[in-house]
Amino acid sequence: MSALLEVEDITKTFSGITALDNVSLNVDSGERVGLIGPNGAGKTTLFNCVLGQLNPDEGAVRLGGEELVQKSVSRRVKAGIGRTFQRIELFSDTSVREHLLIAERVRNGTGSFLKDLTGRGRPRKEEIERCDYVLELLGLRDLATEPIEKLSLGKGRLVEVGRALMTEPSLLLLDEPSSGLDRDETSALAETLRSVQAEAGFAILLVEHDVELVVSFTERCYVLDFGTVISKGSTAEVMADPVVRKAYLGTAPVEESQP
Amino acid sequence: MFAAGVFEDIFTAILQGTPPGAVYALIAVGFVLTYKTSGVFNLAFGAQAYVSAAMYFKLRVEDEWHIVPALVISVFVLAPAIGLILERFIFRHLRTASAVSKLVIAIGLTVALPALFDLISGFEAVAGLTPVGIIENGDSVFYDPFGLYAFSRDELMQMIVALGAVLGLGLMFRFTSLGLSMRAVVESPRLTELAGVPADRVSAFAWALSSTFAGMAGVLIAPQFNTLIAPDFFNLVVIAIAAAAIGRLVSLPWAFVGGLGMGIFIALFKTFLPRWTDDYAWLDIIEDNLTPAMPFVILFAVLVFWPGIRHAREGTDPLAGVDPPPPAPIASERSAGLTMATRVFGVVFFSFILSLMFFQADAFWIFLVTQAVIYSTIYLSITVMTGLAGQISLCQGAFAAIGGFTVFQMFDRFEMNVLLAAVLGAFIAAVVGALVSLPVLRLGGIWLAIATLAFAYFFDAVVVKFSWVGGGNTSLLQGTRVPRPTLGPFDFSNDKTFFALAVIVFVVVSFFVVQLREGTFGAQLKALRGSETAAESIGISPAKSRIIAFAVSAFIAGLGGAMLSIHQENVNYATNFVPLAALFWLLLVVSLSSRTVDGALQAGAAFSLFDPLILRGELFAWILRSPDRLPSFFPISGKWRFVLFGLTSVQFAKHPEGMLEYGKRKSNARIDAWLVRRRGTGDDDDPELTDSKSDAPVEETTS
Ligand SMILES: Nc1ncnc2c1ncn2[C@@H]1O[C@H](COP(=O)(O)OP(=O)(O)OP(=O)(O)O)[C@@H](O)[C@H]1O
Ligand SMILES: [Mg+2]
Repeated sequence: MSALLEVEDITKTFSGITALDNVSLNVDSGERVGLIGPNGAGKTTLFNCVLGQLNPDEGAVRLGGEELVQKSVSRRVKAGIGRTFQRIELFSDTSVREHLLIAERVRNGTGSFLKDLTGRGRPRKEEIERCDYVLELLGLRDLATEPIEKLSLGKGRLVEVGRALMTEPSLLLLDEPSSGLDRDETSALAETLRSVQAEAGFAILLVEHDVELVVSFTERCYVLDFGTVISKGSTAEVMADPVVRKAYLGTAPVEESQP
Repeated sequence: MFAAGVFEDIFTAILQGTPPGAVYALIAVGFVLTYKTSGVFNLAFGAQAYVSAAMYFKLRVEDEWHIVPALVISVFVLAPAIGLILERFIFRHLRTASAVSKLVIAIGLTVALPALFDLISGFEAVAGLTPVGIIENGDSVFYDPFGLYAFSRDELMQMIVALGAVLGLGLMFRFTSLGLSMRAVVESPRLTELAGVPADRVSAFAWALSSTFAGMAGVLIAPQFNTLIAPDFFNLVVIAIAAAAIGRLVSLPWAFVGGLGMGIFIALFKTFLPRWTDDYAWLDIIEDNLTPAMPFVILFAVLVFWPGIRHAREGTDPLAGVDPPPPAPIASERSAGLTMATRVFGVVFFSFILSLMFFQADAFWIFLVTQAVIYSTIYLSITVMTGLAGQISLCQGAFAAIGGFTVFQMFDRFEMNVLLAAVLGAFIAAVVGALVSLPVLRLGGIWLAIATLAFAYFFDAVVVKFSWVGGGNTSLLQGTRVPRPTLGPFDFSNDKTFFALAVIVFVVVSFFVVQLREGTFGAQLKALRGSETAAESIGISPAKSRIIAFAVSAFIAGLGGAMLSIHQENVNYATNFVPLAALFWLLLVVSLSSRTVDGALQAGAAFSLFDPLILRGELFAWILRSPDRLPSFFPISGKWRFVLFGLTSVQFAKHPEGMLEYGKRKSNARIDAWLVRRRGTGDDDDPELTDSKSDAPVEETTS
């Protein structure tokens, strides 16, 4: 069986800086894979290249064997990729349920414009129910009508996850979901993610600085440093790899960051 | 021999283009300076230039002051004072606001400042009284150093002063400490995040300085105009934007070169285009009008074809240091009871107005109210564009004019039914709207706004002049006449019947706008408005949504424009649809409420009725039951409209939903809270509004 996501020899440079240098990576269906590395290693850039918010200079990205590189972001989303953001990105001036509802209706909404004009574009009962179902899964049901500006950062991250789930992804890209959360919130998040994943069966590619979370959550893991993969394998092996310890855990403390 | 002649002509044109070019360069440099130090795309520069020029004119020509004190007061006192006031009281508090909302405020100032100056100083432009330069006999003594082109003393002063000012700026950047900090901000915004840059002082100083440049430029360029009117100075700032865009709005040297180049380029065009038109007759029409349109053509071309500009991120204030917080919302839910009550009130109120119209009103009032309803229809196009899609379009006037001209042409040539022609006009406008948006879709934000401004001016200077659009020379004599339609048994030349038609059109368009807003398309636009990155990540295509938004908005504007022309039985382009008029429309809608149908209706009423009802005192006369009891300060000048709505747009950054909408939500929340208290249910949430910055807990954290 071929992998769900195949990233093959991707290179991306920004005016002189090589953010990604010949990076290859695979994720199988239903798998949980970690992607770690120091700040500025190129993790977020890799996500952007996978979803098409950036175009790689070279290399290929395939989902279920289908070539993605020439496709627009929205096509890739329809092909089954969802993501969350390191710098949280929510729609201002909307409620929690509306967030999910927008995603749900975009997913359903083919030929929406004419439907809208004739008044058949309003949210349907099934759509709202589906949103509420996902809210329930994420434990956000009580907050459904809250404006998102009132949420804590942790809940905000859950809303992002919920929004991504509404697109029914086969692969979910999570960019540092635990940043800004405390220990309890983090373990609650991991718990929720695990149960939702068991339910829906998508694969997860997780970028994370919280080593504990990576160890407990992922099966395999890749390590990026200065845009190259310096180690890969089962999470336990990788964590024991001296190269990784040196580049990542050893010399530079994790918290120090450039903005 | 031929070649020698051409070179001579080129050289002459260069000499001729340098003096105005120097003035453009002066503004362009000032423009970049403000943009880089405060993230404000200051369209109001034109207005500031006008104010200084008018002040100088008043002192020098009307009050016959000596040159030096007149110049000092108008350029070195008034101009920097205005800059400081704007910085201190408006823009300093908006560091973190989006570039688009700052642009809206600048548009507000563009409209408000000239009107405010005229009102305060009692200045009136008088035809025949020509502005003078800053040197005696400026326009009558000439020097001809090369034997090719004779510079007037005014032109020499333009070059000397502008070059001197820019040179002075360069020296200051190099040798003074404030200059060095400023340069740090301009050249590397990141540096300012480090300690040691006195942010407030730098931005205040930059504003004072660039405003002085604007004022200076205004005074220098004034002798070119026969009469002193504000729109001419607005054109000036658009030229400066085109010049600055060449340097991607970030480079001072390139802005300077761009300004000079623009002056020379225009002169070259003026010299050579007439020769080509001998061979190509169709160029004639362009010849007359391309010169004024040149800056806009260049600006549009730069935006569309300059590869670098696509990557230029929108400027936020480099002194702000932090990312913009999400705009503060205010609870928008309201209880069912209250919704019901307002609906009932609305229906009763409008029935009352309608019956008044049909049974009581005279022709004058019917005309005005019909016009208000039609303008409300046009304003729904802004509801779609700005309220729903969150984009600023400054060419709604051109879209509306397309509707009007289509009706005119279709009737004039084919005697087509006017109502059918109106729908056709709306479709044409939609196609044009989609085409205009196409090349600049990737830009979004202020770039899109500027591109639409360029298009509006291009339309104004070139397209309208074509005989297949504006009717050419015949319509100069006869006007662009349009008849009232008949449809079966209804004859719409009757004003009351036409009023009914206008109301029906408005209601139908509103219905569709509400359907779109509540439907999937509205949801997509809302998501895009909230976060484009996130919207993309759930499968929304920003480009596609924007094209649709543009087309829908242009369609509505076109339909409204056609209705307006039918109502007035003439397109009346110059009074109805010029670019500056469209700027005012935008201000009206955003300062009332850009997201609701009521907002458009209120804006239409404000446009059409504010002047007679409030300013001329009709309403108070009616309340007092006699015009004689009206206090003597009536009638109030119509210019106050511009001041009022121009200045209320200042709150756009804080309350993008609009002043009226904000007030409405606030009072809704209060009434709801009061109802809850009356019922004595203790379990209500805090009814306090959530509009303070402090409760935006969703904050950025870096790991
Ligand atoms: N849009 C961009 N333009 C220019 N440079 C960029 C851009 N995006 C990322 N970079 C650069 O590419 C490199 C990789 O950045 P990236 O954000 O992918 O790192 P990261 O691994 O996600 O780091 P972090 O852990 O801090 O999130 C960095 O040097 C960054 O400065
Ligand atoms: Mg990152």
